[in-house]
Amino acid sequence: MSEEILKALTQLFAIISKQDGGVTEKEREFIINFYQQDLDSATVTEYVALYDRYAEFGIEESDNKSESADGDGEKKKKQRVTRVNDAVKVLSLCRKINKTLTQSQKVIVLFKILEMVAADRNFTSQRMEIIETVATVFNIPKAEYKLIVSFVTEADSHVLVDSEDILIFDDQPPPEGAKAKFIDSGLLDGEIIFLRVNNVGLYFTKYTGEDEIFLNGKQVRTNNILLFSPGSVFKTPKGAPLYYSDLVSRFNSDTERQNISFNVVDMEYRFPNGAIGLRNINLSESSGKLIGIMGASGAGKTTLLNALAGLEFPSSGKVLINGFDLHDPQQSHHIEGVIGYIAQDDLLIEELSVYQNLYYNAKLCFKDLSEEELNKRVVNVLTNLGLDRIMNLKVGNVLNKKISGGQRKRLNIALELIREPSILFVDEPTSGLSSRDSENVIDLLKELSLKGKLIFVVIHQPSSDIYKMFDKMWLMDTGGFPVFYGNPVEAVTYFKKATKQVGSDKGQCMTCGNVNPEQIFNIIEARVVDEYGEFTNKRKIRPEEWHEMYQREFTLDRLPDIKEEPPKNLKIPSKITQAIIFTTRDVLSKISNKQYMLINLLEAPMLALLMALVIRYKYKLDSDQYEYIFRYNDNIPAYILICIVIALFMGLTVSAEEIIRDRKIKKREYFLNLSKGSYLSSKVFILFVLSAIQTITFVIIGNVILDVRDMNMAYWLVLFSVSCFANVLGLNISSAFDSAVTVYILIPLLLIPQMILSGAIFSFDKLNNSISEHGKVPIVADFWASRWAYEALMVHQFKNNPYESLLFDWEMYESQANFKASYWFPEMEKKLIGLSEMAAKMKESGKSDSLMIIVENDLALIRTELLLETQNRPVENVQIDEKVLETYKNFLTEFKPENVVEGAKFTEQRAEDIKKVLDLIKAYYIEINNASREGRDIVLNEYEPESLSKLQNKHSNDFMKDWVRNTNEKIKIVIQEGRLIQKTDPVFFVSRPNHTLDYRSHFFAPEKHFLGTYFPTYLFNVLVIWLMTVVLYFTLYTELLRKLIEFMGKIKFGKSKD
Amino acid sequence: MKKLYLVLALLLIQANAFTKETPKSHKMVMAYLYSDDLINILQSIPSPIEISALIKETGATYDRAHLSDPKFSKNYTMSHKKALNLGVYGTDLGYVNLYENNQDVINYLDAVKELAGGLNVGQYFDYDLLKKMVASRNNLGELLRITQKNFEKMNTELQGRKQEDVSVLILAGGWLEAMHITTTIYEKTKNPKLREKIGEQKITLQQLLLALAELKDKPNMGALYQDFDQLRLVYGKVNLITTDGKPVISEDSNGEIVINRDNMSKVELTDATLASIGSLVKGIRSKVIK
Repeated sequence: MSEEILKALTQLFAIISKQDGGVTEKEREFIINFYQQDLDSATVTEYVALYDRYAEFGIEESDNKSESADGDGEKKKKQRVTRVNDAVKVLSLCRKINKTLTQSQKVIVLFKILEMVAADRNFTSQRMEIIETVATVFNIPKAEYKLIVSFVTEADSHVLVDSEDILIFDDQPPPEGAKAKFIDSGLLDGEIIFLRVNNVGLYFTKYTGEDEIFLNGKQVRTNNILLFSPGSVFKTPKGAPLYYSDLVSRFNSDTERQNISFNVVDMEYRFPNGAIGLRNINLSESSGKLIGIMGASGAGKTTLLNALAGLEFPSSGKVLINGFDLHDPQQSHHIEGVIGYIAQDDLLIEELSVYQNLYYNAKLCFKDLSEEELNKRVVNVLTNLGLDRIMNLKVGNVLNKKISGGQRKRLNIALELIREPSILFVDEPTSGLSSRDSENVIDLLKELSLKGKLIFVVIHQPSSDIYKMFDKMWLMDTGGFPVFYGNPVEAVTYFKKATKQVGSDKGQCMTCGNVNPEQIFNIIEARVVDEYGEFTNKRKIRPEEWHEMYQREFTLDRLPDIKEEPPKNLKIPSKITQAIIFTTRDVLSKISNKQYMLINLLEAPMLALLMALVIRYKYKLDSDQYEYIFRYNDNIPAYILICIVIALFMGLTVSAEEIIRDRKIKKREYFLNLSKGSYLSSKVFILFVLSAIQTITFVIIGNVILDVRDMNMAYWLVLFSVSCFANVLGLNISSAFDSAVTVYILIPLLLIPQMILSGAIFSFDKLNNSISEHGKVPIVADFWASRWAYEALMVHQFKNNPYESLLFDWEMYESQANFKASYWFPEMEKKLIGLSEMAAKMKESGKSDSLMIIVENDLALIRTELLLETQNRPVENVQIDEKVLETYKNFLTEFKPENVVEGAKFTEQRAEDIKKVLDLIKAYYIEINNASREGRDIVLNEYEPESLSKLQNKHSNDFMKDWVRNTNEKIKIVIQEGRLIQKTDPVFFVSRPNHTLDYRSHFFAPEKHFLGTYFPTYLFNVLVIWLMTVVLYFTLYTELLRKLIEFMGKIKFGKSKD
Repeated sequence: MKKLYLVLALLLIQANAFTKETPKSHKMVMAYLYSDDLINILQSIPSPIEISALIKETGATYDRAHLSDPKFSKNYTMSHKKALNLGVYGTDLGYVNLYENNQDVINYLDAVKELAGGLNVGQYFDYDLLKKMVASRNNLGELLRITQKNFEKMNTELQGRKQEDVSVLILAGGWLEAMHITTTIYEKTKNPKLREKIGEQKITLQQLLLALAELKDKPNMGALYQDFDQLRLVYGKVNLITTDGKPVISEDSNGEIVINRDNMSKVELTDATLASIGSLVKGIRSKVIK
């Protein structure tokens, strides 16, 4: 207490004492006592002197004596003046005090004043008037004041003002209908009366009887008014003790009842490696309690907390909340939103401000509140936790702190407090905090428990004050053994008794009320001293022994399970709203991280700029004329491949860390039972938008520099699809692995095969024979998005550019016709001739098995090929020889596989028939070839040669043309598995499917088949990429990858040691 | 090393082209062009290789400026242009091959390959042929034999595809280019042998026109035919006097008896005619290679 205040108080006391007859001995003694509690003897003397002076102690009498001669009128006048002066002084003193003391302190002062007056029972009206003035200036409500006065002055409870704020601790209950509360004390002389001063939450008590009552170990004098502080306990000689918490809960039991019953029945927990973490856990609590959990290191405190909260699954036993099994997934929806968990590490979003962190959390919890209400609540909680002044500061991360460690912890707590869950689990909230901050935090938790919440707190090295705030303490020893469960101060007594220590009945210090929890652990963990006087590692009493003692001494009062749904304070918004909130939060967080935004947005255009400028070279038109011509830029196919790889790379790296970063926050939000789908959707949405921006900037810059014209949208769509695919792939990995480093190491593993199996670097025809086959892209390659993207872009660029699109159809017919006439036909003819020769040979020298096999095979080939030919449709808009067309059409409709007979029946005549068929096919194709050529020339004729040349130079690319037409492949046709496979001009023919679901085709096909229809390659490929993306989304949602990895981790290699 | 494509197999001349008197050679005038007789027509057209050899003999220095720029090969999109210029480049290729300028050989090779591919006859310019060509660079007879055989094969194929027009155009282009080179060089050197050669082309032109006549109704062919016809008119002023020599009896490869007569020919043409031939050829050629 400061000097000024002390002076003010002294004056106050003095003035009051002065009234109506002046200071009495008893009053003065009271004052001296009061000073002695806080000050040293020298100062005490000083202040007593001061008091005397102000109270005119000793002076008043002489004054009275000397001035009695003046006559009564004068005296009365003087007295009146003095009274007025005093009143004024009182007012100014009180105002001064108002500015310094807290309300609780003021109430205590008031009590002190009343006590002082009560010391002599000199309750004169004047004094009371002044005291009432003091009370008014102190802002103590009238009703409360009256109650206080009544409490102090009256000797018996029956005479007291009846009020809810009175509690009687007696063997006889108050009369029926009384508002006062009652606790049965067992046999007791007189009563212990409690008064609650509501405004400040203080409890005052006095004892009216004659028994030997002890408050916190100190004997209580009759009619002495004492402050009943947290952690205090009344001990009566014959009755039960009364604890502070019991008192409080009795006072509160009518105000806010929360119906929670929390029962833990024989819970045991085993670690994954089989060791026992917790044993024989039995708990039973109801709402409105603050329970502490303490233990030696390695005792299992956090494990216990996690098991109780539902984060870990016990190996046996149950945790029942209102009768619902916490760990049963079937019943868990009853307990949704009931539990809150504050972890030790902070789970904050670094890039957002303190306010924003709390605001978005609140939005996810309270769907029905308006913006204003939400804001009010948030500000309220922040103010309560002393965070209002740093509301708009960014949280920052542990390495780059913007707010202090204590503030971070408080914010963590705020995140849970705001929704006031009915059951709260807190893991070491005070570690790392200053003692003032620690007290604040525990105060808050205490307040919450008073409101009816059930709170479990793992606490480490609490101060005495904090220790006493807990209603119950749960102590554990190493190995998960419970060793105590009961009143905190009692713990000291219990353990002292157990080891037969001196003073074991004193839980707390007599003078100062200080409890030393360290004592408890010193006793529990006391070690044996060896013959040299050194401490050994052996414990005097092992955990098992403490546990046995505990089992013997304690019986659990099991509370019945409350048969109603536990109260929920949570109203989570709809899935769509959740998704919106997640998105908003995430976007804000990303935007405020300047580095992140800069890199991610600039990366793409920079790469595009770099690459495009480097590969743009000028073509030599003449000896001194150089010009950039798109047509002659040989780097374009490679450019396309690199674009795809860059899109994949960017997509992966952006998403790889996303879920890992959010992991902590997900842990916290686990208890909110938010929708996984909403969370994932919001992530995916943000990543897709980012991909879109990156790819569009990339495409625009790259294509503009390289003069890729009129195809920006097409390029963008493919690159965007690929990037999205990579995004979802990255999310999968991010959700399956725990550290970002692992993920980044995996990235090459995912990207390099994309390059290898894209078809751009290594031709699909020239891969390991076990995977490659002629005429179809290997199935292995179909799993890699790059293959689809590359093909799509190459085919599209070739086929749909403004130049080639004029000619494509004609060129296709021409190419097909040429192939059939120049390559297919000669091969067939060769086979036929061979067959005839073999048949002739066999006729001469008899049947030979080996020859028969060859004959059969060749016939099968011819049969298959002709059958496939019938699947062709005659070309529509060409003018060719009528007869040739007729015969071809007839062939299409009339040919049956049986027309090509089995080897046994094969004859010269048969050969002739087949030859006729082949000839008519050839004739048809020759016609088509010429007609297509003409058709093509007609189209070209419509253009001026110069503009045509310009068109070609701007839009077509020669190097790419060589690629998609396979110009450099010398082998134009190949026999494989009884079929003739076309190797030349892949972009000009379509593969025939083997069955309706057969989508497989050769690389660079212009169209793909599926389910009976033919789709343009570009469209088909893009759809495939999106299909893969969707599949990956499902594996993400179901966490398939993570489960797979866990499963593989469970496979044991070698013998397991048990 | 790139392949050497020798399109000039098309235009080949046997040393005694004009003197071969086979009964068919007269019939061919009436013959329907699109038939097996085409070979004979085509055979009667002199090979630019011979002309190139002649030019070299005259001592004219190598000058690439006379030739068509191989880069233009990329500009020909219409099939008739492709065919014509295939012939042109073929001639050029023969020329540079004889002068053994290897870098230019490669360039013209590319041009030829490009156009041949576009006409789907790329397979007739394979590596084997190339090797043979280079090996027999200095043996004219062998060179001619190789190129003729190849041309026959290709022609058969084109006939099989009913694409004889391609053959004709290739021939026409090759001949045109040969004419152009010859006339240009003659202007410089005034070599009498070249002059004679130019005059002799009157007959070749007639054969060509016969072949071209069948095409003139096709799109783009009309103008070309007209141009060649113009040339024929100019050639009207050229006189060819042939005197029959003694007949020689021999057997050809098929065992048939062939009577040959060594004919002597003499060419009469004025300088003015020559000049106008030269300029007309230039004109037609520039249209062709545009």
